[in-house]
Amino acid sequence: MSDPGGGRSLRGWLDSRYQITPLIEFLRHKEVPKGQHSMVWYYLGGTTMFFFMVQVVTGVLLLMCYQPGEATAYESIRYLTTKVPFGWLMRSIHCWSAHLMIISLVAHMFSTMMLKAYRPPRELTWVTGYILFALTLGFGFSGYLLPWNKLAFFATSVGTDLVKSVPVVGNWLLQVLRGGPDVTANTLYRFFALHVVILPLAFMALIGIHLLFVQRQGMAPPLGAKTAPRGMKFFPSFALRDVLLWLFCFMVLLVLAVFLPYGPGIPGMDWELGQKADALAPAFPGIKPEWYFLWEYQLLKEFPPHLFGLEGPQLCLLVVTLLLAIWAVIPWLDRQAQRDEPSPGFSDFGWGAILFLTFLTLKAWDIGATENVASAASIKIISRTCAWWTLGAGAAIIGVRVLIHGHRWFFLTGAALLHVALHGLFGLSYLAAGAIAAILAGACVTANLLRNDGIKANAGGAR
Amino acid sequence: MSNNTSAQKKTRRSFLDFLLGASSVAWLASVLYPVIRYLKPLPRAGAVGPTRLTREELAKLEKDHFVIVPVSGKRVLVLRNAAQEVLAVDAKCTHEGCTVQYLAAESAIWCACHNARFDLDGRVLSGPPPRPLPKYAAERQEDGGILIVAERRQNE
Repeated sequence: MSDPGGGRSLRGWLDSRYQITPLIEFLRHKEVPKGQHSMVWYYLGGTTMFFFMVQVVTGVLLLMCYQPGEATAYESIRYLTTKVPFGWLMRSIHCWSAHLMIISLVAHMFSTMMLKAYRPPRELTWVTGYILFALTLGFGFSGYLLPWNKLAFFATSVGTDLVKSVPVVGNWLLQVLRGGPDVTANTLYRFFALHVVILPLAFMALIGIHLLFVQRQGMAPPLGAKTAPRGMKFFPSFALRDVLLWLFCFMVLLVLAVFLPYGPGIPGMDWELGQKADALAPAFPGIKPEWYFLWEYQLLKEFPPHLFGLEGPQLCLLVVTLLLAIWAVIPWLDRQAQRDEPSPGFSDFGWGAILFLTFLTLKAWDIGATENVASAASIKIISRTCAWWTLGAGAAIIGVRVLIHGHRWFFLTGAALLHVALHGLFGLSYLAAGAIAAILAGACVTANLLRNDGIKANAGGAR
Repeated sequence: MSNNTSAQKKTRRSFLDFLLGASSVAWLASVLYPVIRYLKPLPRAGAVGPTRLTREELAKLEKDHFVIVPVSGKRVLVLRNAAQEVLAVDAKCTHEGCTVQYLAAESAIWCACHNARFDLDGRVLSGPPPRPLPKYAAERQEDGGILIVAERRQNE
């Protein structure tokens, strides 16, 4: 009897209808390149996705208790954490997983950067990853407001206020974002929609594209690998390692969530509910955003009221936008990596960026503060202490790069360290020190490029 | 002749392309306009004009030397200085919109968010704010009440 369903097995049944054999063959032959560099970097995208899945599950559970609204948001979270069985645990896991997801994502991004995995043909994988990173920060920012406590209120006031500095449409955008001129319950409704519907939909669509790219092209082999590198089978070898690591992440997450249900208590990683939002209360001393926004918070403090005919926050937004725009188009800027050659300048750019962010974050944490944190004398001591810490970190990074990787290109990390030293140790203003360091770095990089071109031209002439 | 026809065809085709493009844009605009209009919030309705401090607000002013009150949809800081004068300035920091407070001990207005200091007339003393805090008129009335006049005076 001819059976249009094909074979007897389930696989045969499916295969005759949906042609799954090519897909299974593809997965069976899928390999992960085994390179000279450690394979640990290949797992970070996976762990980020794991934490995202935890966010979806705990987020849906929280959604079943949470009630947005002026009179209900704070109350429902308080009820959730004090009365609902394991409500505190769900919230704690959601908060911890958010922070761990961002840590994992930052590590994933910087490792991609340092290994130049963005080089052709993977430019768009970098760009989709970049957008996913932006969406993740959006998740963090919008989720922060939902408990409707004092900290959330001011964090959102400041964070959204920066939007007004956008040219032309700034004011309109601010109104649309807040649902009015100020942060009110309208803002809460909008952020709620953003946090639980708009961002998750966008995130899942993009993660689908990002993964599709990775599946189609495979993971990036090490830079300059002449022959196709030996691979590790994705199924089962790599996938099982993935699962094992996810299990480990889950255990770490649970231990942290159970023993530190309100976070480790450092500024920017503390989700004690506190007092309810009150539009008519002044901002309290020591108020700070989440740790991953601290650099921006500190940068806003460093800009003077007016500069070059612009207001401080406007110029700050311009500088940050410029830096982030450069970060987005790195695959097209890095010509050496495009030719599959090492590009030490871009590794240096990555490390310089890390040192730049490190100093600002340390300073925002008031490391080394004296009793009266806000006084001018205390700020000076904070700058000096943070400068020493950053210089120490910079020296360690340079040491490792020279001794282990044999790098010889340090103009940008050098500039970042000079910036910190001039500001923290010699008392120049943050911006003046930055300008000096940037000009020097620009001159050195240009001279280096010209010299390299000269060498190439000479070599061409000799031939 | 054939040349002529193809040229004619070309102009007809490009005209149709133009028509299609223009109607697509018009269609998109007519779909997007209501959405954009929906998202832009309505101007807030509420009392405008001079605002009298309530009994609770007066008590808070006595106790803390300052109180923040809503005046015509804005937050206004009302403070009592060392000379017992009542002054009023906008409570929204001109830097990033946090709510400021009065430090009686230092006779200054302070924003906790980015460490900005203003004098009691709202002028910037230190920190990053690009503009002074707008001033309001505060009048003590005969019955001991305080009236905040919503029309703000521009600082000098």
